[in-house]
Amino acid sequence: MSLRQRMTPYWLLAPGLLWLVIFFVIPMYYMGELSLKTGTVQTGYELTWAFSNYSDAVSQYSEQFIRSFWYAGVATVFCLLIGYPLAYAIAFKAGRWKNLMLFAVVAPFFTTYLIRTIAWKTILDDSSPVVSVLKFLGMAPDGHVLATSGAVIAGLTYNFLPFMVLPLFTALERLDERLLEAGKDLYASTAQTFFRITLPLTMPGIIAGILLTFIPAAGDYVNATFLGGTGQAMIGNVIQSKYLVVTDYSEAAALSFTLMAIILVALLVYIKFAGTEALMGEEEEAT
Amino acid sequence: MTNIKMKQIRLLALGVLALVASLVLVACGGGGGGLGGSDNSDVTTASGGDPKGSLKISNWPLYIDGATIKNFDKVTGTSTTYTEDVNSNTDFFGKMQPLLSQGDSGGRSIIVVTDWMAEKMFKLGYIQKLDKAKIPNVEKNLIPALQSPSFDPNREFSVPWQSGMTGLVVRKDLAPDVKSINDLWDPKYKGKVTVLDEMRDTIPLMMAADGIDPVDATDQDWLDTIDKFKGLVSSGQIRKVTGNDYIQDLANGNVVAAIGWSGDAIQAQADNENIAYVQPAQGCSIWSDNMLIPVGAPNAAAAYEFMNYVYEPEVQAKITQYVNYVSPVEGVKQILLKQDPALANNELIFPSEQFTAKCFNQVSPPGDEQQVQEVEQAFEDAKLG
Repeated sequence: MSLRQRMTPYWLLAPGLLWLVIFFVIPMYYMGELSLKTGTVQTGYELTWAFSNYSDAVSQYSEQFIRSFWYAGVATVFCLLIGYPLAYAIAFKAGRWKNLMLFAVVAPFFTTYLIRTIAWKTILDDSSPVVSVLKFLGMAPDGHVLATSGAVIAGLTYNFLPFMVLPLFTALERLDERLLEAGKDLYASTAQTFFRITLPLTMPGIIAGILLTFIPAAGDYVNATFLGGTGQAMIGNVIQSKYLVVTDYSEAAALSFTLMAIILVALLVYIKFAGTEALMGEEEEAT
Repeated sequence: MTNIKMKQIRLLALGVLALVASLVLVACGGGGGGLGGSDNSDVTTASGGDPKGSLKISNWPLYIDGATIKNFDKVTGTSTTYTEDVNSNTDFFGKMQPLLSQGDSGGRSIIVVTDWMAEKMFKLGYIQKLDKAKIPNVEKNLIPALQSPSFDPNREFSVPWQSGMTGLVVRKDLAPDVKSINDLWDPKYKGKVTVLDEMRDTIPLMMAADGIDPVDATDQDWLDTIDKFKGLVSSGQIRKVTGNDYIQDLANGNVVAAIGWSGDAIQAQADNENIAYVQPAQGCSIWSDNMLIPVGAPNAAAAYEFMNYVYEPEVQAKITQYVNYVSPVEGVKQILLKQDPALANNELIFPSEQFTAKCFNQVSPPGDEQQVQEVEQAFEDAKLG
């Protein structure tokens, strides 16, 4: 290989790397520095290696951290329970409606995230038909759905559902139907074929979907702001309030880093179990 | 396959390395520079000049009528960009602080914030003093009640935009018996009431309702009341702590009573006649939003011209007709008496002394910045539940 050929990949990488350095590494550096400073807007900030910012952040807001991961976890499970059958139906049963159904999954993106979330305020209004039904079923003990955990989780589920459906659909679409036929030939029941063929082969889609849903959901604050009430603040709300309301920049930065670290650790553990192929997309058919 | 796996692991490792590297950089970099840290020892007076060119104003939403800006441009030959980007004092401060601390106003020549925030920004050296010779109409027409507020006794750096009252906004049909702040905590209204997310709106009213004079309240009074507030939040009595959006919840009945602003109540009444402002039995809190010229304002001359312009009673009357808040300009009532008598006789727009007898000027917690921030922090934590 000539030098020129060997350099090609680096040239191709350059724009992306440059982007990452300017908009990821450098801000990260400043945020890291800020998270170890003490001071106020009035007096200015001074680097004092205040690791206490981190311990304070975690001990004081552990409730909101736990709540965020709980909400995000529940929403992810719901997304999977709703998304898997949906993706399955689109991939195998939709026939000529396939493209239309896929379009329907993506269609909400044509409106902004904020507007869609605010629309849910109307859907879950105290006097809306939806809430009347829920009240009748005894599912709204306080007489309202807005400003409860349920509303926030519903909002998260709704907003992140497409991120679950699309990778699942891609995985299911690539599934070789002949394998299912082979399973039937070998007298496997429908359930057996599903659990022993379909599910394992679509695992990469499931894992990608879970990551794409869980990570942004855990850091979200829009749903909690609009659909939640007073006891539903997530860690995103805490960070927002720290930055913009209290202007305690150091602790806000420490909180952001902590959130990032927790997610990163969770991700690494998860990858350890699930394998990297699952995260990066699959090559298994090749073998 | 293993080859691919190796590469992928390497990629991930690289990512982690980048993160670690950034932290190490922090360690080596250290010290110096960055955010904050200024005082007002070197406050300048905004200079005047020829009021042409472009003028950028930041104000709150729905706070001006449709014609004033156009007319101003026509009369003076300026080209004004009027942006409604102030939604809350604290959020606006959070956004502007990094700029203002560098002596940059982001192109703005006028910003409008509430009294306490005006004071805070001035103390930080973010606001310029005014040359009163350039604003004769303000000198002439500012109503006496607003001429010497405690935060700026000589009106050296602030000019009131509009004033208003914080009190109760209720649905007369759904909560007819709410007359005092403490009526909101009636168990039958559990999950049906909201309060404002600005601490200085909500907490002093709660203190007054409990017989504490907000003007002389101690740090401990604030913290105790915030404690009570926290209890009401976690019990679910208070459904939500809101900004402007409480009005929609009142309109569709999700909320039956709220701590809210007088002007909102009049505007909402136009759509739903059951919405009304109720003066709390223990009094209301009175505040003003003020026009300020920030440091780095590119066109102070046009800013003066604008301040002067909106203090013409005829111009102000149009704004009052639209925003329905208390006007700071003398002579507006006389004009409106001819044009719109109902408005001119509205106690919320032209309050009588009797109507506001028990009201107090909006207050901040006592003490230095450190103490104030602690109280603010307690309030924020209570809100987060």
